[in-house]
Amino acid sequence: MATAERRLDRLVASGPALLALALGVFPLLVLFVESLGPGLGPANYAEALSPLYRGALTYSIGVGVAVTAVCLLVAYPVTYWLAHRCPARYRLVGLVALTLPLWLNYVVLNYAWVWILARGGVVNAVLVNAGVLGQPLEVLYTEVSMALGFVYIYLPYVVLTMYVSMERLDQRLMAAARDLGATNLRVFVDVILPRTLPGAAAATLIVYARIAGAFATPEILGSPGNVMVARLVVQAVREYIDYGFAAALSFVFLVAVLASLAVGALFPRVRRELRQW
Amino acid sequence: MSALAVEGLGKAFAGEHAVEDVSLTLERGEFFSLIGPSGCGKTTTLRMLAGLLDPDSGTIRIDGTDVTDRPARNRATNMVFQDLVLFPHMTVAENVAYGLARSGVPKPERQTRVAEALDLVDLGGFGERDPADLSGGQRQRVALARALVNDPEVLLLDEPLASLDRALRGEMQREFRRIQRDSETTFLYVTHDQESAMSMSDRVAVMRAGGIVDRGPPRRLYSRPRTRFVAEFLGDATVLDGEVVGRNGETAVVETQAGRVSATSETANDHSDSVAVAIRPEAVTLGDGDLTGEVVDAAYKGFYEEATVDCGGARLTVRRERSAGGSTVQEASTDGGDPSRDRRFRVGKSVSLRVDRAVLVEDGDG
Ligand SMILES: Nc1ncnc2c1ncn2[C@@H]1O[C@H](COP(=O)(O)OP(=O)(O)OP(=O)(O)O)[C@@H](O)[C@H]1O
Ligand SMILES: [Mg+2]
Repeated sequence: MATAERRLDRLVASGPALLALALGVFPLLVLFVESLGPGLGPANYAEALSPLYRGALTYSIGVGVAVTAVCLLVAYPVTYWLAHRCPARYRLVGLVALTLPLWLNYVVLNYAWVWILARGGVVNAVLVNAGVLGQPLEVLYTEVSMALGFVYIYLPYVVLTMYVSMERLDQRLMAAARDLGATNLRVFVDVILPRTLPGAAAATLIVYARIAGAFATPEILGSPGNVMVARLVVQAVREYIDYGFAAALSFVFLVAVLASLAVGALFPRVRRELRQW
Repeated sequence: MSALAVEGLGKAFAGEHAVEDVSLTLERGEFFSLIGPSGCGKTTTLRMLAGLLDPDSGTIRIDGTDVTDRPARNRATNMVFQDLVLFPHMTVAENVAYGLARSGVPKPERQTRVAEALDLVDLGGFGERDPADLSGGQRQRVALARALVNDPEVLLLDEPLASLDRALRGEMQREFRRIQRDSETTFLYVTHDQESAMSMSDRVAVMRAGGIVDRGPPRRLYSRPRTRFVAEFLGDATVLDGEVVGRNGETAVVETQAGRVSATSETANDHSDSVAVAIRPEAVTLGDGDLTGEVVDAAYKGFYEEATVDCGGARLTVRRERSAGGSTVQEASTDGGDPSRDRRFRVGKSVSLRVDRAVLVEDGDG
């Protein structure tokens, strides 16, 4: 009887475990075998690490870091205001308004920015007609338009995650710091930042790798000259039909992302705050 | 020069006065308590003194200097908050060192002063702990050390003992008193617990609905309250309305609902004939008195018993210590056969009372 029950327990528990294995590890494993190629050698990796591709890798990581940083920079004051200054009854409205882009297809969101930023787009039309600008701004298909698109699409995730942390931030801790002589900047560094770091870390985990590995936004809004990793992977699959190389490049990218996250977690301060998690 | 001088302090939230025309003077090294019921504006007052809230009106002087417009960080005050609010992401030592670091004290000196402060509150060697790993009383002391270490001109304490159990509260009260003497700091202690205020303070001010209604040494306030509110708030006095029917120097004979009572008068009540009389429970003796009444409620309170006696419609509270070696509850209920030995109050029983002391008080809101 007891053993039958235990067997049933094990059966029930093995379901999710197998699912996790199937979804998480198995595809990666297949990908890894693929990346080694028919000869099971490191040739694909050697190519993926060649200077030609290294540039795209560092550029992708750089874009990921920069855009994540901008998102956090925007989300901090916005969520602080929403959680601690905004009258309670407008809070939900504010939160929904800020996260509205989550509900739309992100390809559409990207094209919305093409329309906004184009030579004859809304921004230029208004600014030129108002006499603010002599001639239209050329921002579309630059790093600026790409960054705008990225921030627009990923900010809602960061805002939602940070908001949870901000809401839990105890106002009285700020009063205590002030009473003990802290300036506004010290209150931020000594109380707000450490108390919300878990939220910032969670937000980073969610958006950073997706930004660094993004395909649509750089394609639609970015400059053709700035190559990010995703385009190379897609090229390898579609144009060169070189699955092994595509897989190897993906793996190198994965390692680069994990390594950069590890570097972030190495800051003693970050480590300390995260340990309380 | 007084350590703290407050004049005409006022604050309103959305048109509602939370604090109105509060004036206070604290002498250096004094233990001063501000007491009053919940919501009367105690925390609001302290926050204004600390610089955490801008007053609508009034001036605040610390050591003679007007600090009304200075932010919290430029005031020689420190606060122990109602819920302590220790920094959870810092160790005990880091918590205590925080104020020193902000005022630019160099690290070596900081460390010695933190160690001294922790010793002062009996927490030597606890520096590396996390606040979360401490007991309530220990956390309390950390909060105290964190404020005291900055050597404030005035230490503001906002009901810091409210969350502790009775025994620990008593112990912490004695500790506060000792630390206050040792550190020679001026304490402004806020509470709604009149017992702790009375036992610790040099002077007490009673607050009601945003204003201070009376102030003075605890003994004076307790034995000679000037107003009905103070008499009722400090030690559950019964207040009866009456007419003065005779006078004898400081004493007035007052005809009340319950009967005739002699009361000492202290204030301007003398010239009016309609007065109010405050009677403390312990000033009423059972038996051989002029007043008679019926016990309507009785309660066992540990070392004493308390009864409410209806005297002609007025309800007097009477307390009686349980006689030494007297009956426990079980004994009392078994030896009920002998009424003369049964010292318990009995509901429904007729008793006679004598009022030993009573005080004339001002009626109304004042
Ligand atoms: N930030 C605020 N906004 C609006 N009203 C407030 C605010 N702070 C306090 N009040 C109001 O001011 C009055 C006094 O509050 P305060 O906190 O000073 O009372 P208290 O005497 O400290 O009470 P307690 O003993 O319960 O702590 C209350 O009616 C309260 O509702
Ligand atoms: Mg309060």
